[in-house]
Parts: sequence; C-alpha cells; structure tokens
Amino acid sequence: MRELFYCAHMLHSHIAHFYALAAPDFVVGPTADPAQRNILGVIDKVGLQVGGEVIKHRAYAQDIQATIAGKATHPVGGLPGGMSKAIKEEEREDFEEKAKSLVEFGKLGLKLFDDLVLANKEYLDLITGGVYTMKSYYMGLVDENNKVNFYDGDVRVVDPEGKEVAKFKPGDYLEYIAEHTEPWSYLKFPFLKKVGWNGFTEGKESGVYRVSPLARLNAADGMATPLAQAEYERMYRTLGGKPVHATLAFHWARLIEVVYAAERLLELCQDGEITDPNVRTIPTATPDEGVGIVEAPRGTLIHHYQTDDRGIVSAVNLIVATVHNNPAMHMSIKKAAQGLIKKGQEVTEGLLNMVEMAFRAYDPCMACATHTLPGHMPLEVVIYNSKGEVVQTLSRNVG
Amino acid sequence: MKTLVLGLGNPILSDDGVGVRIAERLQGKVDQREVTVVEASLAGLSILDLLTGYDRAIIVDAIQTVGGKVGQVYRLSRDVLDTTRHAASPHDIDAGTALELGSKLGLPLPTEMVIFGVEVADVVTFSEECTPEVREAIPICVDMIVQELSGTPDAYGDDGAKRD
Repeated sequence: MRELFYCAHMLHSHIAHFYALAAPDFVVGPTADPAQRNILGVIDKVGLQVGGEVIKHRAYAQDIQATIAGKATHPVGGLPGGMSKAIKEEEREDFEEKAKSLVEFGKLGLKLFDDLVLANKEYLDLITGGVYTMKSYYMGLVDENNKVNFYDGDVRVVDPEGKEVAKFKPGDYLEYIAEHTEPWSYLKFPFLKKVGWNGFTEGKESGVYRVSPLARLNAADGMATPLAQAEYERMYRTLGGKPVHATLAFHWARLIEVVYAAERLLELCQDGEITDPNVRTIPTATPDEGVGIVEAPRGTLIHHYQTDDRGIVSAVNLIVATVHNNPAMHMSIKKAAQGLIKKGQEVTEGLLNMVEMAFRAYDPCMACATHTLPGHMPLEVVIYNSKGEVVQTLSRNVG
Repeated sequence: MKTLVLGLGNPILSDDGVGVRIAERLQGKVDQREVTVVEASLAGLSILDLLTGYDRAIIVDAIQTVGGKVGQVYRLSRDVLDTTRHAASPHDIDAGTALELGSKLGLPLPTEMVIFGVEVADVVTFSEECTPEVREAIPICVDMIVQELSGTPDAYGDDGAKRD
C-alpha cells in the first residue's frame, strides 16, 4: 500500500517539476524572455490539449494519494505498524484506470522530449556538452535484482565508471557517508567516507557523489518494468553508454521514472492482496533506534531516529537529497558559470538562466536541506577580472 | 452558487496559520448547502486542485506588506496575485501563474474571487497560537467573510474598517 501511494507521490512530483520548471528552458528556450519562459509558455508551444493532460494526470496522482492516506500533501495515513485504513475494491478499480492512463501519459512525455528536445541539435549539444557534465559517484536504492526501487531495498553506489563500490542496508549508512562542513553555509557537504573528502573536485579520487533520477538509473542495472526498461536502454544508447554524467539528463531520467512509477502503480493495483483489510500490525515493543531510506523524487532520503525508553524521539538525523547533492550543485553552478561567461561577452538575464539550469536540474529544496523556512530564490553572479576586481554583478532576489 | 471558503496557512507557524484559524471558526457559521469551508496548508498548483469546480471562492491567508499594521484585514481582488509572483517552494509555481494556467486550460475555476489578507507579525516561530494583535483580527475577518457570503460586503471597507 505504501509503495502504491509512493509511486503516486513520485508521479505528481516528477510531472510538476518537468512541465512547470524544467520544460520551459527546453521548450521555450533557455534564453527566452522570462515572461514566456514558464509553464504558460510551454502550454503555448505544446498546445492546450497536452497542457490539459499534464494537469489531469497530476491530479490523478494527487487523488490516489489522498484516497489512500487522507491528504496528498501532508498525508496522515501512515501509522506505526501499517496504515490507517485499507483500500476498497471500488477505489482499487479507480486507481487501476488512472494508472493505465498514467502509463500512456508517461509515454507521451517521452515522445514530447524526443520531438522538442532531442530532435533539436542545439538542445542535445547543451545536454551532452562539457559545461553541464560532471564525473561523480552515483547513489540510489535498488531491489534484490539491482533494479531501481523508490520504496525499499539496499543503497547502491557506483563509481564514475559505473562500477559498484558499495551496497549497504539503511542501518549501515554512517559507515559509508560522512559530512564535511564549510563556514559559509548552513548546509553540510556529504561525501563517501571510503574515498574521502578531497575538496570540490570530480572523478574517482573525490568522494563527491550524486543522487537524483539519473543517479538512480546510473546506480542500478535496469528498471523493473518493461516500458521503463526499454526507455532506460534507449537513453544510454543515445548518450554513449553508462554511466551518463550529463546533469541536464536528470530531466530525461525523470521522464523515464514517470513511466516506471506508472507501470509499478498499475502492477500494485492489480495485485490481489492490495485490498486486504489487514493493514496494520500494532507494535508490541518500544523502539530505540531506526533508520529509514527511500528514494525521494530528488534522490536518496535518509531518516535516522533515536528514542528514549518511552519511545519519545531524542535524536534525529536527516540527510535529504539536496544535502547529498550539495557539493555537486556548487560544482555544477561554478562549472556552468565558468563555461558560459566569456571575456568580453555581456552577461545577460538569459545567461544567468543558463547558469541556473545547472542548479534547477537537481530540483533542489533548500528549505528541506537547511531545515529552515522557504523564502525567495536568490541568485547572484559576480564576475572578477584577473586582478580580482569586480567587473559586473548580476543578481536577483538578493538582499 | 457553489462557494468555497479556503483558509490557507501553516497552523504550527504562529501567524502563518491565521487563515486556517479563521476557516475553523467559520465551519459552524455558514450554510453548508452552498458553502464549503476548507482548511489547507497548500500553495501553487495545489490551489488549482482545490478551486476547480466552484463558482465563487473566498481565500483567506496571512499577508505581510511594507509598513503594514499588524492585525489589519484587507479585502483584495484576484489581481493582487499578479503583483507578487513568488513561489512558496522551488518545486512549485506561484498562485497567480497556477490560476492563469487553469484559465488557459479551460478548467472550471471560480468566476468570482475575493481574498482576505490579515497583516501578520510572525511567520517563522513554531507555535500553534497567533500573536495577540492577529488573534484580535480573527473574529473581525470571520465577520467580514460572513458579510461577504450574505451579500453585504460593504459592511466593511477594503481596509477592514467597519462602516456604520
């Protein structure tokens, strides 16, 4: 039940991110006027019918979550030992119809990506170009067959050449991940313990790793459902094999995951046990410590709790996807800025957006990562000459 | 006319929860055959989900303006959303864009919309209580919404002051 809910959660999040946040850069254009470079501009290009399909299918995913767990956002159905209520047969039938439609919608998304992004040489060059490429380790949850799983399994890590270097149970995460700190940020910088922190550098000697849809696909040996598997193979064939280091390919992987989530949702809807009325086993012991790991839409999510003898939480450690990606995000932004801003070239709003694209691919949540409250989205680019003097500053929502 | 009264906010972040508190108070004061009162901690695209299917919407939320007086209640129109295009999170779009998207796609959105904003002091402290001046504004805003629903919005000015 929880996995079914979770597939619906992935669907709503991936759909919202791709069509509202990522697509404008590719469909409308990375340097287009900001007044057009948004979901409304995307709808102008792809048409009202496609736009309607986006909203409809996102709503399907929200409906499934709300039916199972009370609310789509801030669900209340999870309890220690299970869920608060079972799925009724008429609900299951409704979910099944929605899941079939979501599979078709997933295929539509990849077709749009083919027609509007991959068929455009400029965009394909953008995706595969060095400015947005980073050779890192990759982390993701896999099942017993090393296929991508959002909900359960072991954490697998592969090196920049795609070779498995670690596979561990959630409870062992502290043996593999450590966190570096910098005085200029509240956010920590996780790294692979056995490789070590060697600064903001790429490659095998650097403990920097990434999580994300692309990281999940890189860390796994494939997808557990047939249509998603075919798309997985096609992506790697197109981009020259595994692993893919192109940060903008996070978006392609995201669309492949839409297909997987929809197929898996359908499989679970058609599982005879999904409407079993026994959905909770009331715990009999008081917990003292627990580690839970799932794949959030943006990447691996670690929750670690310690409790006292009353079962009251006494310590918490959360490593969310944006934290795992923190070192890599900084490196991606810097690489994009250094690669795109050339001497003598005017730094325009469009150029600022192209730097921001390196960040947006991670679908970051700074509030989750810093455990503070959301605010504006500040962005500042400062250009220095060889003497260290500021030549130009371009900023938005700063101060 | 199917009407939605939507109280928005985070109920554990002090004054940010004022919209939810006002919606709670309205639950017993409206004709439930015509009016649905919903409390929600949502923004952006999710607002579209909530508004679809209603003819009229009254939204109530916390607001912070430059130089605003804490506790003041404003009666605002839908246009005000176009003056503040800030998304609540990087994974979402702002409410104005969400509504524009809904209209563009022909979703059955309310043709009438009024927004009640309560000027607040504190939206960052964890608390289930609003600050004192905001607490005092709650019954005023509740009454303003009741007047709006009963067709007498002119009982109050757009700045929240009661008219004789």
